[in-house]
Amino acid sequence: MAALLRADFTTLWRNRRSFRLVLIVPLIILVSWKGLVDKLGGVFVLSSCITIGLTSIGLMGYSNAIARDRDRGVFQRLRVGPVSSWTIMISRLLVQIAMIMVMTLLVFIGGYYIDHIHVSPLGYIAGLLMSLLGGAVYLGLGQAIVGRFKNPETVNSITRLVYFIFIMIGMFGELGLLGKETQEIMSWSPYGVVREILAASLEPSAWTFKTTYALLAAVAYTIMFVVLGVKWFKWENK
Amino acid sequence: MNQQGDNAPILDVKALHIRYGAFEAVKDVSFDVYGGEIFGLLGPNGAGKTSTLSAIEGLLKPVSGQITVAGFNTREKPLHARANMGVQLQATSFQPELTIGEIIRLFASIYGVELGEDTIREKLAAINLEDAAGKKIAQLSGGQQQRVSLLISTIHHPQLVLLDEPTTGLDPQSRRQLWERIEYFRNNGHAVLLTTHSMEEAEAVCDRIAIIDHGRIIAIDTPAALIEKHLHDPEVLKVVRKGKVTLEDVFIGLTGTAVRS
Repeated sequence: MAALLRADFTTLWRNRRSFRLVLIVPLIILVSWKGLVDKLGGVFVLSSCITIGLTSIGLMGYSNAIARDRDRGVFQRLRVGPVSSWTIMISRLLVQIAMIMVMTLLVFIGGYYIDHIHVSPLGYIAGLLMSLLGGAVYLGLGQAIVGRFKNPETVNSITRLVYFIFIMIGMFGELGLLGKETQEIMSWSPYGVVREILAASLEPSAWTFKTTYALLAAVAYTIMFVVLGVKWFKWENK
Repeated sequence: MNQQGDNAPILDVKALHIRYGAFEAVKDVSFDVYGGEIFGLLGPNGAGKTSTLSAIEGLLKPVSGQITVAGFNTREKPLHARANMGVQLQATSFQPELTIGEIIRLFASIYGVELGEDTIREKLAAINLEDAAGKKIAQLSGGQQQRVSLLISTIHHPQLVLLDEPTTGLDPQSRRQLWERIEYFRNNGHAVLLTTHSMEEAEAVCDRIAIIDHGRIIAIDTPAALIEKHLHDPEVLKVVRKGKVTLEDVFIGLTGTAVRS
């Protein structure tokens, strides 16, 4: 496991462009939304940025890396060695979990110093933990996509499309810019529930029944995506 | 890790059946490979060679049959069986972001072998790639990639070496070099199973060969004995090109002249 992890982290580091992109998108939004902090609330801004970062990691980072390595035969080469398939996958997931933590901490730091958003220590800890659950939703979705579609180009296109839909409809829909119905639908979408639980965890006193339902919905989404992703996934492209 | 006696085969395949949906790709295939032997699996495209190899490697589950590697049943003890085999796949399939040194260290660790920088350099020098440790796999030629791939496949000194069309696309010099390497493993007591489309290769390096067609083994013997056995076979004589029966003539005589997809 240690050897695999070292190799997976090295691979991630050598793919610096996609590594930076995944981290930079939420930070750009954080900086550009500085003027909206007073209007939308600091917690809303932070939770939106983290949700966008999680979407980038799960959809753009994880699923594309898996599709690419599967296409290259990297997994088959590892699987003919004395290493279980689960070990290979857990190593990949641990790299993504590390990415989630780095991205979340960067957003916290950026939020504090750039947007002057102050959250309680408990809020930061709960937010970090909740970002892991939110990450599981998107990693699960990424797994389902890479399980359903084999061609890396198709996976790339689908993930970009889903990413775009989540960002555009999710963000604008949640703000109510696309009408009441869309706002309601988006608040229960994977984008909406993840943003909701993140926002509430950053401000624990604002936790409501709706947040609890959102948490349950996030867990349900994760289970559904993971079950489908594992069921559909094939280790080779043939 | 070997669980068997000295005279037992290192690879034992018994009554193997592999299915893809309704299509039966491998039917009742049985053979064994001993230490100090190079065994060739020959067959036209789609005959069942790669499916058989994939089942031995544990990449696909057979419908029935039993595969034992160094005494370990591949279904009951898959990790033990895989620890005793070294596999070279058709494509090199290594992470292109890693350097050769990092790839060697990764696979050595997977097989429980600890290698220092100096040892890696020595191993690379042994295959005439002294300066390759810091290079990426894509920076090497096809022949160099195959040499690195074979080095990695055998880094843990496996009892069984599986080579899937190892010399495809190589120039004659690289091919000869790889043959010498394969013979080196045989001479050091390893069992080698290779698939190939090259009859020249089969004749040059294999001690025994099996010809597989439509999922069944239709002949199994030494190359010389197979030629001898089919010297007067009318189907073989029909396809002889240069007056003398070769292994290729026997192969085409037994499997037919039709091109397979």
